[in-house]
Amino acid sequence: MNPRRTLAITGRLLAQFRHDHRTLAILFVTPLVILGLFALLLRTDASDPRIGLVVDGTDDPLAEAIGMAFLESERVDAVAVPSAAAADRDLRAGELDGHVTIPTADDEGVLRPTIVLEGTEQRDLALVPAALQEATMRALAEAAPSLPPGAPAPSLPRVEPAMEVLYGAEDLDQLDLFGGPFIGLVVFFLVYVVTSVSFLRERSQGTLERLMASPLRRAEIIVGYMLGFTAVALVQAVLVIGFSLFVLDVYNAGSAWLILAIVVILALAAVNLGIFLSTFARNEFQAVQFIPLVIVPQVLLSGLLVPVESEPEWLQVVSNALPLTYAVEGLREVMLRGADLASEVVQLDIAVLVAFAVVAVIAGVATLRREVA
Amino acid sequence: MTAATPLAIDARDVRKRFGGVEALAGIELAVPAGMVYALLGPNGAGKTTLIRSLVGLVKVDAGELHVLGARMPRREVLRSIGYMTQAPALYGDLSAEENVRFFARVQGGGDVEWALRFVDLWERRGSLTATLSGGMRTRLSLACTLVHRPSLLLLDEPTVGVDPQLRAQMWDGLREMAAGGTTIFVSSHVMDEAERADRLGLIRAGRLLAEGTVPELLARAGVDRLEDAFLSLTETDR
Repeated sequence: MNPRRTLAITGRLLAQFRHDHRTLAILFVTPLVILGLFALLLRTDASDPRIGLVVDGTDDPLAEAIGMAFLESERVDAVAVPSAAAADRDLRAGELDGHVTIPTADDEGVLRPTIVLEGTEQRDLALVPAALQEATMRALAEAAPSLPPGAPAPSLPRVEPAMEVLYGAEDLDQLDLFGGPFIGLVVFFLVYVVTSVSFLRERSQGTLERLMASPLRRAEIIVGYMLGFTAVALVQAVLVIGFSLFVLDVYNAGSAWLILAIVVILALAAVNLGIFLSTFARNEFQAVQFIPLVIVPQVLLSGLLVPVESEPEWLQVVSNALPLTYAVEGLREVMLRGADLASEVVQLDIAVLVAFAVVAVIAGVATLRREVA
Repeated sequence: MTAATPLAIDARDVRKRFGGVEALAGIELAVPAGMVYALLGPNGAGKTTLIRSLVGLVKVDAGELHVLGARMPRREVLRSIGYMTQAPALYGDLSAEENVRFFARVQGGGDVEWALRFVDLWERRGSLTATLSGGMRTRLSLACTLVHRPSLLLLDEPTVGVDPQLRAQMWDGLREMAAGGTTIFVSSHVMDEAERADRLGLIRAGRLLAEGTVPELLARAGVDRLEDAFLSLTETDR
């Protein structure tokens, strides 16, 4: 190995960076932005789940004690609610994330509290039973404060909580909760990358110049591209959704057609965004560099990993400007809550995605200039 | 050519700057319809910029450009123009025939078989373009340029990489098209190619230095070879 020849390679590489400030910026700035976002998401105290508490067994001191301890729990934001019916109404209205009812002990002396959760928040499924468990332990400990050392432990009252969920099923696993949003992410990512690189090839191989010197209108080029890639994206969406629902058995309470509609509209937005952004890249290398800028913030901020509501407010503004956010919300509404087109949330999500696709196509036509200079 | 012959290209005091470089410094050019006109000049003389401004890819800073009677840029006129870029601009993952067919459709129709036979690629029509040799790609690019039978052909160094025999064959074909009324505007820095033109323009540093038939230019410079005439005529301007 000749050090001079080796260093010639090294030197040339570093010299090239001098003329490519964009690559340097992406190399040095992107990781800081991504890690910063991560920190914001993970360090921000997510608001505790709001749980209504109904104590039915007012004459049962243990039920009372567990209720008191639950209200003081630091894991949940518990509020006393007069009746199970009221709690249920608030849960359906979205004012509560769940409710806990503590009855008197049954004939066998077993206390059977019930936990009802909204069901689509994985965190709550673990957190609320744990909080109730903790409250129960504290109540039991306080009920028997002064046992002489060495004395045999008295038989403790049995407490056997049961859990129900409003949407989905109790046995939803991570894949059920993340599957829908992931369908959206996978389709968005691949469609975006393929479109932006292929549109860029049109430019780099010189054929775009040829098209621009033909009677074609700019809108004809862009819309032609859009239709072609949307056709491919449609096939891809059918495959991905079919595989998720029928092979992976991802939970779906809604219509598969509605899922398809949301995913295809998202793909349309991805196609148009790919065309639009590729006009800012001079070569494939630069188009690839856009990927972390376009994809990573969407993965982090779309509500896929951390609910948008638990982000700092200024970051929610960013989240609400990203198309994937609406796809994630729409897919969760349909697949986990069984929402249909009558749902205002789904209507809004679809409307925003369509608007995004339209704006991106107009931006693409506007930035595709006939004269290059 | 009589005075009554309409002009296919009419450039009046066309100027274009790229930053500090004056690519076109007041070009005056009149090419009558049906003529084979060669624009001869060294690299960076402004040949490509001029051709690209003729199809509206370059927005000129000043001056007037009329192509086929219309003031450019004008989209409708592009239907009657065939523009061949300097590097073959083709889809490598389409067959030769698919490339020609695509450009025919974009231009609103054309004779695919005629175009492929014109460049002697009919037998290779099924080959994937990426697998063709450099010279074949250049010829295929020409086929894509003339498939819609335009009345004006703008060819930017069209025979680079094409062997002499095929080059002669291509020129026979182009001459035939010119005889049929097609105007052919060719840029080149190859002298023997320029000699095939009816009329020559010598361009350097964005300026048209001399213009005329080959014998006229030779006579003006007082030399026997076009190459010497070019050197002598561009020298005087320096």
